[in-house]
Order: sequence, then C-alpha cells, then structure tokens
Amino acid sequence: MLLARVEGNIVATRKHPSLEGWRLVICQPIGASGQPEGAPTVAIDCHGAGMHQEVIISSDGLAARRAVGDDKSPVRWLVVGIVDESEPGKRI
Amino acid sequence: MKIGTVIGRVTLSRSVETLRGGRFLVVSPFSREQYAAGVDAPAAMGNDPSLVVYDSLGANVRQVIGYEEGREAAQPFDQPTPVDAINAALVDEIFYSPFKK
Repeated sequence: MLLARVEGNIVATRKHPSLEGWRLVICQPIGASGQPEGAPTVAIDCHGAGMHQEVIISSDGLAARRAVGDDKSPVRWLVVGIVDESEPGKRI
Repeated sequence: MKIGTVIGRVTLSRSVETLRGGRFLVVSPFSREQYAAGVDAPAAMGNDPSLVVYDSLGANVRQVIGYEEGREAAQPFDQPTPVDAINAALVDEIFYSPFKK
C-alpha cells in the first residue's frame, strides 16, 4: 500500500469490460512530507476521492478483482481509503 | 495501471502456444510532465525504459494507452500465460493538475 495524492483522472471509452463504470484516478505516490515519489499510477476508485486529496492505494490484485466483480480483470491498483490525518491531530 | 505512449509494434515468428495470434506493442511510460501535457501533445518519450505490452484492444502507434503490470496482466487469459504487461484501456482524455504547495 502506498500513500498517494489524487492529481487527476482519465477517460477511456475502449477498455477492459471490467473497468466499465469505474472512476480511474491518477495517484501520485508521495512521501511522509508530501513530496512526490516515482511515477503516477492510475487506480480504480469507489470512494469518490477528490482532487489533491491524500489516499491510500493498494496493489492487491485479488481485492481489486473482487471489487470489480470480474475474476478475469487485469485491474491491480485500487483506492482503499481517504486519509484524514497524516498523524494524530494533524489534518491534511 | 500506468499510462504510456505506443511507440512501436512487435511481431513474433515463434512464440509460446498461448501467445499465438497476440499483438504486442512497444510502450514508453509517461513522465509527470507528459501527464500535464495530455493525450493531444506531440508524441514524446518518457524517462523510464520502454516495455512490451500485450494488446487485445487494438491500439495504434502514437496512441496513449493504460497498461497493467505484474501478475494481474495474465489474469484475463484462460490458460497460464507468460504475460507481464497488458493493455487495459485506450486513453481518450487525461485531466491532470499537479499539486503545488
């Protein structure tokens, strides 16, 4: 699981059928102090993560396939939660 | 899923049985700057090394695609297949605004 920031979303008409109806958000992995680390990743999102919100993304393919309900889906990254506080008392 | 530009194709004369008839693309992963430029920007190379992606959606050279890497790439196949990256989406539009403090 990675701490990441939502920096946008993508639109794709032609895609694997399992991705139909899912939001695809661009997540930039970040470090503890919020600096970007590595290349952005596109994850499926069922929580409605907003622009520039901090989220946790997981590379658990099995969980992602369960989420989309298709055992043959190539989906890997999913937004598992939206971060409220990076440490106790420190709201983002 | 990662995003990249299709910069070429690969054809195989001999291959593993399960990969017969498959299409393969050479893809250059997007850099952060390319995300900001969007899909209509002139095709450019990213900073990361290019890779070969299995394609069942019919992407063309210069098109922007979303590909999935890792074990999950072999998931759509009925039989065990040695696939490491697969084209999962043809990207129409990218909305990207990098975060600045």
